[in-house]
Amino acid sequence: MTENRSIQISNDNKRSPKKFPTVERFLEGWSVYKENLIGKIGLTLLIIFAVMAIASFFTPLIDPMYHPMTGVDPDISHSTSPSWRHWLGTDFIGRDILCQLLAGARIAFMVGISAAFMSIFLGTIIGMIAGYTGKVVDTLLMRLADMIMVMPTLLVVLILSSLFGQLNIWTIVLLIALFRWPGVSRVIRAQTLSLKERPFIEAAKVTGASHFRIIFRHIMPNVLPLSLLYMTFRVTSAIIIEAALAFLGFGDPSTVSWGMMLQWVWKTGHMFQAPYWLLPPGICISLLTLSFYMLGRAMEEVLDPRLRKEIAQE
Amino acid sequence: MEIRKFVFKRLIEIIVIFFVILTVLFLLFRLAPGDPVTRMVDPTMTPEDAAHLIAQLGLDQPIWLQYIYYLKNFFTGNFGISFHYGVAVFSIILNRLPNTILLFSTSILLSAFVGIFFGKIASWHKGKKTDTWMTLGALFCHTLFLPWLALIMIWIFGFNIGWFPLNGMISPEIWLDSSSGFWLKFLDVAHHMVLPLATLFLIHFGSYLLLMRSSMLDTLKEDYILTARAKGLEEKVIRNRHAAPNAALPVVTSVGISLAFSLSGGALTETVFSWPGIGRELVFAVSNSDYPLALASFLLIATVVLISNLAVDVLYAYLDPRIKY
Amino acid sequence: MALLTVKNLSVGYHTRKGFLKSVQGVSFSLDQGKSLGLVGESGCGKTTIGMALMGLLPDNASVTDGMILFEDQDLLKMSKKEIRQVRWKKVAMIFQAAMNALNPVHRVSEQISEAILAHDADISEKAAMKQVESLFDLVGIPQDRMRDYPHHYSGGMKQRAIIAMALACHPSLIIADEPTTALDVIVQDQILSAIKDFQNKLKISVIFISHDIAVVADVCDNIGIMFAGQLVEYGRIEEVFDAPMHPYTKSLLASYLTLDKDVVQLNSYIGETFDLINSTTGCRFCERCSVAEATCSLVAPEWVEISPTHKALCYQCK
Repeated sequence: MTENRSIQISNDNKRSPKKFPTVERFLEGWSVYKENLIGKIGLTLLIIFAVMAIASFFTPLIDPMYHPMTGVDPDISHSTSPSWRHWLGTDFIGRDILCQLLAGARIAFMVGISAAFMSIFLGTIIGMIAGYTGKVVDTLLMRLADMIMVMPTLLVVLILSSLFGQLNIWTIVLLIALFRWPGVSRVIRAQTLSLKERPFIEAAKVTGASHFRIIFRHIMPNVLPLSLLYMTFRVTSAIIIEAALAFLGFGDPSTVSWGMMLQWVWKTGHMFQAPYWLLPPGICISLLTLSFYMLGRAMEEVLDPRLRKEIAQE
Repeated sequence: MEIRKFVFKRLIEIIVIFFVILTVLFLLFRLAPGDPVTRMVDPTMTPEDAAHLIAQLGLDQPIWLQYIYYLKNFFTGNFGISFHYGVAVFSIILNRLPNTILLFSTSILLSAFVGIFFGKIASWHKGKKTDTWMTLGALFCHTLFLPWLALIMIWIFGFNIGWFPLNGMISPEIWLDSSSGFWLKFLDVAHHMVLPLATLFLIHFGSYLLLMRSSMLDTLKEDYILTARAKGLEEKVIRNRHAAPNAALPVVTSVGISLAFSLSGGALTETVFSWPGIGRELVFAVSNSDYPLALASFLLIATVVLISNLAVDVLYAYLDPRIKY
Repeated sequence: MALLTVKNLSVGYHTRKGFLKSVQGVSFSLDQGKSLGLVGESGCGKTTIGMALMGLLPDNASVTDGMILFEDQDLLKMSKKEIRQVRWKKVAMIFQAAMNALNPVHRVSEQISEAILAHDADISEKAAMKQVESLFDLVGIPQDRMRDYPHHYSGGMKQRAIIAMALACHPSLIIADEPTTALDVIVQDQILSAIKDFQNKLKISVIFISHDIAVVADVCDNIGIMFAGQLVEYGRIEEVFDAPMHPYTKSLLASYLTLDKDVVQLNSYIGETFDLINSTTGCRFCERCSVAEATCSLVAPEWVEISPTHKALCYQCK
């Protein structure tokens, strides 16, 4: 609580000039990051999930019955509890739950990262344009952002899926991205507004750089760390939305996601009989979102503690 | 009055947003693949009834006239007939609305108050055990997957221990019995509400706690806290009178921002607990291709989001004397 | 008998890079009704001394040596509760108005009456409000602005309100930390004369902390020049201004010109900030000193008494 009053020492000028500023910066950030308990827990969990996702590619190679979607144990036609053959038991038609769980990790990463990447991309571009151009464009874009922001994304996607029929996983990803950019763009816009006043932007203008060049060469490198940070929070929200959609029965029927597994256990009436089936997918969704969230919070401290307020609102 | 101006400005903005949403939905319903008539008129209706409904909704008119009909019908509360229930959609959603508002507002208020309270305490013990455990606990609760938490709640407290009903909002035998008094009915609803409320509470309170904590930590660095200390005030007074009101302001804003998120969560909770609210009705309608009901429920939810946003703005303007627009 | 005696005070901060010795061996004393100016560039430890006097050092700070005798009691040995009762009642503080010293969500009058109520259990809220009214008269803010919020005030009015707040409990010592920084020159002048005015009227001792030697010149009886955590020259204001002894004082005085009260400050300081973590034993100013000799950087300087009231920490003064 008192860091601001403790005295700052400035002996930066004593350091030797750096050859690789990016690498240096990364290493410096890393040294702060690894002090952070929450960050370490988050990263460890994330690595475990990544291993799970990779492992999902190999299970069908062991035996076709370990395929998460089509692999049915020929001897089992109902849900069974854990055994040597099926470490986490089987679902109502005899598919291996562990394999589904591993495949779910893959889907979750895929959905989370691609949706987050797209929404960050959109949000950063829109935020920079709004902040840089100002005036009418800014007002219009920000009103649009406000409007999208007050819409419950999950319910909007629900309505759309009722109108356009079954959505496949990539459409879902796209829709999530389309509805989750406003928060990012607001922050990037604010950052751009303050960057715009800095001397180096003036200098670039004086030397005749085009607007395009100023935005992408001078402003973008400065807002990218912020975008990246936001991406971790977007990953969690994308994973949650996809899982919730699948849970309600509007997921892509050709993929096995954790939300889908929960829907099966719920809809087939196994939730009171099969804890071995009910518990794992939920724990996985919760822990994966937790780990991304922890990663984000730790990164936040590395980047700039002053950003905290804006981001915590998500 | 400054505040009045501010609220008026927000009101106008919200009305504009609402019209845009109305229009976008109209276009979506007309432009989506398939025939808009089959989407609004139950295929099992008698031809006379169908013709009457088509005329009422203006579906036989050119598209711009349809839009006028659509707006007129919206403001007169005529949303068509539900395919599934076979009655006017308006009466259904009007019936569900209070249930949603009851669960939604109770959960938001409860989690905000408790979150702010514990966030304050956590920030005060920054770096100590209390803080570490509170922060970790809040992070954990905040990232729990809501529908799963709901299932677990039912499984543990409804099925295994049996303290609370598995789902629903009322026990029919109590409400059908004419001798049941108000308090009995009240307690019955409260009994049914415990689990859904606890689910929503656990999910939301963590985020308010974390937010209040970081906001408090920022506020405690402010100069006026130093002034308050210099004045020789007790730490408790500094925390409650000088830091907390300032720190709560960003939390109030975030309540507004997260309302949409909360309503999605509300819909999931209502669905899992069979709580007869708008959110469940929406999910149900979408699952059963009951378009008139889906459209109306969605519009109503959007209205609830926008009105709550306005309420949060008013609250903010009231709390922060610096607001002057 | 001196109201306040600071003896050999040393304060440091635990930072990520090591223990930062912010204040080292500072001694001075102050009589009732007199004023002292502490002047030095930012980071020289002057604010740390102010905070130590209020018992408001941040958590990462620790007092390694010395004592602060106030009315014959050592403030450093007091319990948290005792020191809280001394704060504002005996020792008050005037903060910089450019800082957020006033809480934005409370009315100005409430913030002042709060201080009165906190230190006088017997007084009623109404009576406290009456006192606030008379304080507003004293510092020259119209009474109808009392119930405003801080953001309605101009910079000068905020500073006046802060002064009113400092006077609320009739303290015997007021610490004014950069009281006029960030105000425009005319308002600065008004504020300074207001402080001087009540100081004479109410017989309050004042410690001015400033980076601006001109501010101190106007209002103080004694002056202490600080450099890199040490007091380097101390004396009556005429003595120091007329015959500065320490090279740092000389450079400070040379870098400001008085043009009929309007002050022009020329920042001609050269050199880096002194490294307070890995400090050497020698004189701290020698790197920037124009008259330094080889021994200066090796042997710690000692106090040289020029007159009973004037001394300097420099070998060259002998």
